[in-house]
Amino acid sequence: MSVSLRRLTRSAVLTALALALSVAEGLVPLTILFPLPGLRLGLANLVTVYALCRLSGREALLILIARCLLGSLLGGNLMALAFSLTGGLLALGVMALLLRLPGLSLFGVSIAGAAAHNTGQILAAMVVLGTPAPLVYLPPLLLCSLITGTVTGGVSILLVHRVPFPGKV
Amino acid sequence: MRSPAADRRRPTLWDGLVVLAVVAFAVLLVFLLRPAEGSAVTAVITLDGETVAQYRLDQLSQPVTLDVEGAAYPLTIRAEQGRICIEHSDCPSQDCVRTGWISRPGQQIICLPNRLVISLSGTEPEPFDAVTG
Amino acid sequence: MKRFLPFLCCLLFLAGCTAPSADAEPAQVQFFSMDTVMSIRVYNEGGEDAIQAARQEVERLDKLLSRTNPDSQISLLNSHAGDGTLISLDAEVADLLSFAKSVSQLLPGCFDITIAPVMDAWGFTKEERHVPSAEALADAMSLVNSEALIVDEASSSARLEQAGMEVDLGAVAKGFAAGRADAVLREYGVTSALLDLGGNVTAIGSKLDGSAWQVAVKDPQNTSEALCVLSLEDQTASTSGGYERYFEENGQTYHHIIDPKTGYPADSGLLSVTVISSDHMLADALSTTLFVAGPEEALDFWRSRDDFELVLCTEDNRVIVTEGLEAGYRPAGEDRGYTYEIARR
Repeated sequence: MSVSLRRLTRSAVLTALALALSVAEGLVPLTILFPLPGLRLGLANLVTVYALCRLSGREALLILIARCLLGSLLGGNLMALAFSLTGGLLALGVMALLLRLPGLSLFGVSIAGAAAHNTGQILAAMVVLGTPAPLVYLPPLLLCSLITGTVTGGVSILLVHRVPFPGKV
Repeated sequence: MRSPAADRRRPTLWDGLVVLAVVAFAVLLVFLLRPAEGSAVTAVITLDGETVAQYRLDQLSQPVTLDVEGAAYPLTIRAEQGRICIEHSDCPSQDCVRTGWISRPGQQIICLPNRLVISLSGTEPEPFDAVTG
Repeated sequence: MKRFLPFLCCLLFLAGCTAPSADAEPAQVQFFSMDTVMSIRVYNEGGEDAIQAARQEVERLDKLLSRTNPDSQISLLNSHAGDGTLISLDAEVADLLSFAKSVSQLLPGCFDITIAPVMDAWGFTKEERHVPSAEALADAMSLVNSEALIVDEASSSARLEQAGMEVDLGAVAKGFAAGRADAVLREYGVTSALLDLGGNVTAIGSKLDGSAWQVAVKDPQNTSEALCVLSLEDQTASTSGGYERYFEENGQTYHHIIDPKTGYPADSGLLSVTVISSDHMLADALSTTLFVAGPEEALDFWRSRDDFELVLCTEDNRVIVTEGLEAGYRPAGEDRGYTYEIARR
């Protein structure tokens, strides 16, 4: 297989995985437990973390954008696309930055990613709705992101170590 | 991309710092949002004791006008961010229109001929319990 | 430690669930009666029954005393004006009429409950406000004479001597109602309540924490602001001012407090008068009377008695507060150009 074909396939598989994960977590609505708009486990973030660690920032970005676009085709609307894209991009940026720091583990990286995702979502909601009102949801969402970030952080450690090199390029 | 984080299996002290940073951010936000929440002003419009409309004046981004249906003398209420008034009333006394804008919790506009009251309440404690006059 | 962590978390969550008892919302009702808006707030627990009883009492009195209700005792009295019939009334109505007459005698020419025909001439009764013609006003003025209201308290009956005369208790009914509502609330064991009967505020007891009620006096020139704030316990603060109801004609402003001497809106140099008294009815009656009387006469009258206190707001932006209020009041309108002074005996 040529290098670019391999890369394409790899990204496609990860995109599909990310999509599947985001659909799957929709089946376990956390909002029943904590009625906060925009609250989710963020399993799709796993794929971003994995892609950042084991592939490259460029591929992680492509996978993220493809996942958001396809996700909105699957069942979302334009507003949901704006939320997930803003949140996802901000999370990606923050995590890519933090991964370069020497002292952190994936727990810290994931928590920061989850917090960044929530912040991005709320920022997008503020822009779309044209009012600062959604900001009141951010503090509780941030506290929840500590938990969801820890969970996805733990899982991503497993993932990164069990699947170290996905089809070496 | 080679990253030291990707090779660790246990959380580090630096992760704790990230947690602290997120908590600090959340606390800071709550602190910053508090004054905005504290100055909540709700206008309740009652016609002969029945509530006909209710507005959060501090959250109105666009002016709203309301024609109260069922009033004996047709009247138009106008609400903007932070204040409300009776813009027009067909009532004979016009006392309600002359009251002008009200904006603070505890204030009222009364249209006696219509038995209509607009009263403001808020989360901020009012500096007094009642008003005479 | 680890196994206690979930418990600790639960405790933390539960800590947010303590009952908010101290600042509990009062039971309250707002209703229309006596041609104005009234509200009753009871801060004691379980005040709903007391509130309903007090409201019914006020509405009962409105039916009894309203001039616009054709079935009221006052309408009956008015309809028999000049025909010599002695109308028998409820004892409380007869008492109220003789009280109103006594206020007319305390400050002659400043108060008269037979002013109704003049109020009608100005259109304040039917809300067709206008300046009356000279003849119409003269005709109406000839009917104003509370001497010609004969009240016999012993047999609780009354009559009006001259045909066309009419009694209107508008200047005393709210104070009377406040007194009755106060009594009803106390029968229900209420010790902390506020009545607002159309701008007459009656403070019952004190706040639940024992401190005095804080009652603001409206700035007559800017009714969304306060002139000063008073501390009240078991007292009524009643305010009269030309700013409450008025109209403009040919660039002139005419308000609703008519001077019985002239038949024209009172022009005594006052913008508003607030009377504070533990006698609710007296506070209501005196606010109108002293507004007509003017600042000097009002202060002279205050010096002659010890059962009320005053806040006077004059046309030259002075706020005169009598010394009995000095300890518990705070000025609130300095930034709007008011100067505050304490009147002493």
